[in-house]
Amino acid sequence: MIVEARVGDRVSRVEVRAVGDRYLVSVDDRTLDVDFIDCGDGFLSLMVDGESHDVTVERRSGGFALTLRGSRVIVDLGPSLPAGVAPRHGSGSAARLVAPMPGKIVRILVPAGGSVEAAQGVVVMEAMKMENELRAPRTGTVREVHVQEGQTVETGALLVVVE
Amino acid sequence: MSAFRKILVANRGEIAVRVIRACRELGIASVAVYSEADRGALHVTMADEARPIGPAPSRESYLRIDRILDAARGTAAEAIHPGYGFLAENAAFARACEDAGIVFIGPRSETIALMGEKTSARRVAVEAGVPVVPGTLEPVADIDQIHREAERLGFPVMLKAAVGGGGKGMRLVTSPSDLETSLARARSEAGSAFGDERVYIEKAFAGPHHIEIQVLADHHGNAVHLFERECSVQRRHQKVVEESPSPFVTPELRSLMGDLAMALVRKVGYRNAGTLEFLVDADRHPFFLEMNTRLQVEHPVTEMVTGIDLVKLQVRIAAGERLPFVQDDLRQRGHAIECRVYAEDPDRGFLPSPGRISAVRIPGGPGIRTDSGVYAGYEIPIHYDPLLSKVIAHGEDRESAMARMRRAVAEHRIVGVATTLPFHERLLRHDAFMAGNYDTSLVERMADDPSAVDEPRLDLAIAAAAIASFRACGRPNPKAAGSPQSPWWQAGVAEAQRGRE
Repeated sequence: MIVEARVGDRVSRVEVRAVGDRYLVSVDDRTLDVDFIDCGDGFLSLMVDGESHDVTVERRSGGFALTLRGSRVIVDLGPSLPAGVAPRHGSGSAARLVAPMPGKIVRILVPAGGSVEAAQGVVVMEAMKMENELRAPRTGTVREVHVQEGQTVETGALLVVVE
Repeated sequence: MSAFRKILVANRGEIAVRVIRACRELGIASVAVYSEADRGALHVTMADEARPIGPAPSRESYLRIDRILDAARGTAAEAIHPGYGFLAENAAFARACEDAGIVFIGPRSETIALMGEKTSARRVAVEAGVPVVPGTLEPVADIDQIHREAERLGFPVMLKAAVGGGGKGMRLVTSPSDLETSLARARSEAGSAFGDERVYIEKAFAGPHHIEIQVLADHHGNAVHLFERECSVQRRHQKVVEESPSPFVTPELRSLMGDLAMALVRKVGYRNAGTLEFLVDADRHPFFLEMNTRLQVEHPVTEMVTGIDLVKLQVRIAAGERLPFVQDDLRQRGHAIECRVYAEDPDRGFLPSPGRISAVRIPGGPGIRTDSGVYAGYEIPIHYDPLLSKVIAHGEDRESAMARMRRAVAEHRIVGVATTLPFHERLLRHDAFMAGNYDTSLVERMADDPSAVDEPRLDLAIAAAAIASFRACGRPNPKAAGSPQSPWWQAGVAEAQRGRE
């Protein structure tokens, strides 16, 4: 199996082969010989070169979230690309700000047409008894505002498009 | 021996579990109350009896004084422990208990009212000879007056809700142009969190220490303090890590803060457990901030270093017993640290991350205590505070407590949501924290220097994800390797198709 794995900005080509009761996994140029046991409930035990790794895994939209001794890593998996095709990066086009959690829109700080800097507060959302300022995903102009103040939204709801 | 046979716990989550455990050790029956969202919660499972008190939103359940009193009467509970948050510092609730002949495990309602309004607490502290943070002794509403006060104090200033606490309704203002919007934000947050929009203004210190003193007082005029807790590791003005003793506090400062705390406790005739919060500046001058007239989230830190069970003593004091010790009997033994594990994503500015917890592993071993309210299968309700568990490490000194905590944080797993565990891992290896040389600006400074997961561990994570996907179906099926709706997936497919043309 060959897939593309994306962690933040890093994109890797990953090949998995089952060899007996082990897995040979190539991540870009590095090959890992992995003894992999599923302990149930999302707990995994991985042994690589005699080193024991205590990993938890949870499935999420687009891939998996993994925890390794205090670090949480989101790995998105997609189909592999033909050789020579550069993976697409999410720059240059419109960026969408979606609700990271269910909650209520308290204030819209930048109306449609307003310009924003990357990481500038755009929408204030109340969830879990706190007001949270949601920040612009990139520098640009707010093209679309899809919510109103006072509105309740679910996780993943499109709030604002910045172009 | 205790005067109570049954206690109702008017709370939820880990603190309700904590109080139920104390009741069980004392041989007292416990009654849990729960909202419609909490039927499956741990406190309900652990209590001897449980009563539903309404729909999920807290103002229709955990904040309903009438329903909680009905539950107490209906179960013949003789006392109510309020925990922290919800009605714990609500004077009307304490008074309603007093009127109903049910013992409120805490101070008298008039003390709660006096200390709960931050400006009246500041006034009584001044009367008791306790220095307060410079600022107004009355709430201020008029924007012109706020401008005048801010200019007088000098920027930065802090706008704070006159009632309530926990970092809500609080805004740091660094320039006059931000005053008006910050005032609106603070008032609206205070209004929605506490039902009271009044705010007052205080001088904001640069990088202060947030240090608090635990006190206990009985109904017979005896009072002691149980030393300090260092609470300077904060995000959004809310604590995430506490320790005792404070690496910043000298024996002289400890004794001074203890004396100030006792002066205020005597001045107001305080009863039961309480905490005086102080800001301490770089020159080690303490300024009284506010008093929390209840048990604190971080009380286990004090329990570990003093060997005293604060919750059991709260119950015994409320039953009329005398304090079983005097100040000179008390010592700080070793060092304790607490890490609060929240359902928040430390990589995204500590945004809440609600969801379903699929699995939990609680850390154990020497010197580790975990106060947790979660379990596998638990759906984190969006209606309440996102605190999931607290890990407390105790050791003979700060070094060994930190080593134990580092181990425990790596052992602790909560699967299914983002938590603050990775933040704790970073903090416990941060130079300033390890040296004990930090103030309230630490978390912000850490955000400027985000951790990168090293390459070998990243490769391992990628390999684990790829194997998990492979085992799920043996090929990169969208169902296993991510949803076909995923933008990443779609972008990949589009690129792949374009590449073929």
